[in-house]
Parts: sequence; structure tokens; C-alpha cells
Amino acid sequence: MSTRKKIFKIVLIVIGVGILIGGSVGYYMFNKPARDVQNTKTDFSFNASELVNEYLTNTQKANHKYLDEAGNSKVLEISGVVANISEDFNGQKVILLKSDSDKAGVSCTFTPKTNANTQNIKIDDQITIKGVIRSGASFDEDLEMYENVIIEKSDIVSNK
Amino acid sequence: MLIMKKTTIFSILAVAVISLTSFTASAQKLVSSTTHFKFFSSTPAEDIQANNYKAVGTIETTTGDLVFSVPMQSFEFEKALMQEHFNSKKFLDTKTNPKAKLVGKITDLSKVDFINDGSYTVDLTGNLTINGVTNAINEKATIKVADGKVSLMSKLNVTLNDYQIAFKKGKPSKNIAKTVEVTVHANY
Repeated sequence: MSTRKKIFKIVLIVIGVGILIGGSVGYYMFNKPARDVQNTKTDFSFNASELVNEYLTNTQKANHKYLDEAGNSKVLEISGVVANISEDFNGQKVILLKSDSDKAGVSCTFTPKTNANTQNIKIDDQITIKGVIRSGASFDEDLEMYENVIIEKSDIVSNK
Repeated sequence: MLIMKKTTIFSILAVAVISLTSFTASAQKLVSSTTHFKFFSSTPAEDIQANNYKAVGTIETTTGDLVFSVPMQSFEFEKALMQEHFNSKKFLDTKTNPKAKLVGKITDLSKVDFINDGSYTVDLTGNLTINGVTNAINEKATIKVADGKVSLMSKLNVTLNDYQIAFKKGKPSKNIAKTVEVTVHANY
């Protein structure tokens, strides 16, 4: 085999491997699964009241701090008193953490995988929930009411 | 005796009137308990859909005023990459505008009987704000009353360009329809 042919062969292999790697990376990127929130490091931990008040004081500043441009917003651990337990249209459990003295609370939505972990939770329990923030608390003039902080992909961290 | 009777009747009437008015006052504005917003885009290349169960809405049964506030980051797509595109600055910029808002009015509310069971097709007009841009909308909606529970369904056709939502180039610009369908379902 001539040197020229050898080089040609090597170049061909390199290109082939390149296409294969590029293709699989592209394929992976396109099909990458949604972020596993429960296995993501917690960014902030606080009481429901602290988060609500931070939002009511300055909504824009809080949005800037907690929301992400690509929607992969901050992962929070929130402690509070259970004020309400319900279910959404998708059959997901929703626990509202809110103290009586606050104008708004933190509404935490669970997943088909974590729904069952809410089974033993009762109103007035003091619990800690981990999840991703979707939007903050604010007063809406058209609704004429306060909107809660929305947390999704939730699970119970501790139940005292 | 006669005076006594009169006072009794008067006080009963007074109580009845007060309790009736306070009852209607509290029953005027209904807040949604569960909601579902579905985004659906269809092109020859692919169909894309996303679901959002976290919107909050109110309906005023005496005036027909209707409001929805939709947290945009709660739209869930099948593919994570699509969800990231949706939230990005190029598309809906949900970090800057985390909520979309519908403020409308049912213009032919007199059709609707909120007490007895029934289903009514009504006209809904108002303003829709997405991506910080507000446009007038004019759509049909269905109000259902069953066992005293009110629900609302509607389909909004959203032309992305009207809300300054557009991918300039690349794959998403070809794979997302120019006009998407947003289905609304709310139980009050």
C-alpha cells in the first residue's frame, strides 16, 4: 500500500469516527431527558415565608435570582406549615405551604413518582419540600388576589 | 301584640335580605381549582405539544369578567431540548416574562344559567399578553354547569408573530407552526 493510500485510509477513518461521535452527541442532545430535579443539588433552603416575602418585596429582583433563561430554574428546599392538600388536573398532588400571617404561600406540585410520599401528610404538619421554582408570588390586579410561588417536581425531604 | 309581630316579621326579613346579599356577593367571583393549558403546534415535520396545569383563573358570574394567569415555565414538553428552546430568549423569554395573562369578558353572559345544569357556547373577547406583548382576542368558549360546579373550555389560536415570538432560522423555525393552538380547560 502506498503512503498516499495509507493517509487516505486514515483520513477516512477519522472522518467516519467524527461523524459517528458528532451524530451520537447530536442525537443525545435532541433526545436528552428532562433534568432530574430530585437528583440536582439544592441551590437555596429557606422557610416558605422568607421566599414569599422576598418575592412580594421585589418580584423582578427575585425572578432574576431564581429563574433560568432555559427554564432550568433554581432548585429549592422549602420548610413550612401545610395549609392545604389537593390534586391538579393531571392527578398530581399539590401541597400548599403557607403560614396564616402570610399573604401568599408556596404551592408544591408532586409527580406520578412522588405522589405516594404525600400520603401521610396532614394539614398543619411542619414539612420540608424540595422542587424547582416555576414562578414567584405577587399580587395580581386582574385576579384581585395574591398568587402563590409555584414549585414543581416536588418530593418530601423531611416530615417532622 | 301586633307591634311585636311586625317587629318579628321585619327582623326576619332583614336577616333574609342581609344573608341573601352577602351570599350573592361571595358567589360572584369563582376561583379556579384545577386548570389545564395545552400548547399544540402542527407542521408537516412534526407535532409538538406541551401541557401546563399550574394556571390560576377567576370568573365573575355576574359580569362575565374572566382572568387567567399562566406561569410559562410550567409548560412541560416531551423533549427537554424543546422545553429549553420554548423558555429561551429567542422564543418566550420566560425569565423576563414568567407569566402570560388573559383578561377577557364573556359578552353574551345572559345566555348562561349558573344555577341549573347546562352547557353554553359563549363569545369571549379580551386581551392576551404573552412574551410581554398584548393583542386583542376574540374566541368562542364553552361554559358548563353541572351539580353547581362551573367549568370553562376554549381554544385560542395564537399567531406567534403577533407576540414577537419567532425563531429567525434553523430547525425550530421550520418545525413550529406559525399559528399554534392553545386549549384551555378550567374547573371552578
